[in-house]
Amino acid sequence: MPIIIISSDSYRTGRDIGEKTAQTIGYDYVDRDILPPVCEKYGVQEEKLLKALEETPSFLGLSSKLRSKYLAYIQEATLGQLLDDNVVCHGLGAHLYVLGVSHALKVRVLSEPESLARELFSEALTSPDKARKIIKRYEEQRKNWSLSAFNLDETDPSNYDMVISLAQIDPDEAVKTIVDTAAYRKFQPMTYSIRCLQDKELASRVRVVLMEKFPDVKVTADRGTVVVETKAVKREKRKRTEAIKELAGSVEGVRYVEVHVTTDIFRQAAESAR
Amino acid sequence: MAIITISRGSYSKGKEVAEKVAERLGYECVSRDVLLDASDRFNIPEVKLVRAIHDAPSVLDRFKHGKQIFIAYIRSALMCRVANDNIVYHGLAGHVLLTGVPNVLKVRIIADMEDRVKAEMEREGISAEDARILLQKDDEERRKWTKTLYGVDPWDISLYDLVVHINKLTISDAVDCVCQAASKEAFKTTESYRRKIKNLGLACQVKAALVDPFFDVGVTCESGNVVIYTGAGERQVNKLKKRAKELEKEIEGINNLEVHAGVPIPEDAL
Repeated sequence: MPIIIISSDSYRTGRDIGEKTAQTIGYDYVDRDILPPVCEKYGVQEEKLLKALEETPSFLGLSSKLRSKYLAYIQEATLGQLLDDNVVCHGLGAHLYVLGVSHALKVRVLSEPESLARELFSEALTSPDKARKIIKRYEEQRKNWSLSAFNLDETDPSNYDMVISLAQIDPDEAVKTIVDTAAYRKFQPMTYSIRCLQDKELASRVRVVLMEKFPDVKVTADRGTVVVETKAVKREKRKRTEAIKELAGSVEGVRYVEVHVTTDIFRQAAESAR
Repeated sequence: MAIITISRGSYSKGKEVAEKVAERLGYECVSRDVLLDASDRFNIPEVKLVRAIHDAPSVLDRFKHGKQIFIAYIRSALMCRVANDNIVYHGLAGHVLLTGVPNVLKVRIIADMEDRVKAEMEREGISAEDARILLQKDDEERRKWTKTLYGVDPWDISLYDLVVHINKLTISDAVDCVCQAASKEAFKTTESYRRKIKNLGLACQVKAALVDPFFDVGVTCESGNVVIYTGAGERQVNKLKKRAKELEKEIEGINNLEVHAGVPIPEDAL
């Protein structure tokens, strides 16, 4: 059965629709409730993981390096849950990293504009114009967040199969549309799409293991073969390759590790200049 | 029972979806017909109307107000069609031309650029690169048009009730989704909506009749009572009043027609 991934401009709206969809279709519902075990496993405060899901890196907030690490933890946990199938997932940014998995139905739900503005801005709103401006500013923030975290614009409709606005459509009717769409043939799991998801899950586990020592790594997987891309100065290449092979090889499900090291030209230049 | 507008880019399969939705629901499917209606009624060559609704306004257009005039004609023709209800409009700018109509189901159909490029290559017999350039130019023109004239970006998903991405979802799936959405309570035409559409239709007809040369008037209509707002000087107002008197007899369904000069034009005025 398919995986349904819900994204929304409001966490509250997304959760409501996600829970109702899961209830209607009899699926499990996966949301930020999966984060406490992640916090325990990696010794991170939940507040920081939530920040990584909401904020762009800043001088006073999370650094870029830390945010990538926290997002990698979340990604690993989420993909693990999605492997179970029959799942409705919301609030974990899955629409931005579950790519190329054909049995994942991705839906964006847009809240009723006034209620979203009220949610974002607790003071009384004086005009619809002001509400529009607040929503626009928030959308811009989310766009920046998704671009900086996953290089994808979460407000771009081409990243979804469907976008439903609740401005005129009732939430229950939106749920019915999602449930009916999930039944379409193209969203039924196939051997290939299941394998794609398994590969993503394995790559995410390897990345978490490597990130502590090599934060810049890019990892892909294909039936147990893991390809790791990283940068290093010439003299470190061999050492780094060996270390990565050892660490990645220890992850369950990995059969072969391939490491592609490119020269870090900036570090190389800096070292030559010394 | 409902009014559906389907917004689309070139070769996004929106036309096919619109035609199939209309066929399944037994609705009228309208696109170019609106331009032909406007062309007949206002005696303007169709090609000029096509340009007015497709190409972004040039700097000169902004002074001549040519586009606003043609758009008022097109809008009037579209409102006449919409007044009959049960319609699927997949021509340009439906979502902005029907602003104020309460029960419109606004749909956008999108497709991947690569699929669009392939379709354009097949139809025009051109290379992939040329097809891509043409599509990008066309998209940009449409965006600029709506942004300049209505201040909104047609790619902004919050303008629509439903956006369907033709990729994993097929044309037939999209048709199912749109038909299902159209059956929802919010989009059913009630008696009060019917009255509102009738009033909007009257306001559009009056605006279209006045827009050349009174391009800056605002028109509202409630229960057949039409109010024309203008900020023009006394001489122009007298001319406008004279023309308004004629219109009262020319356009069917007007109870009363008034000209209000020197007062701010309401936000909902056409």
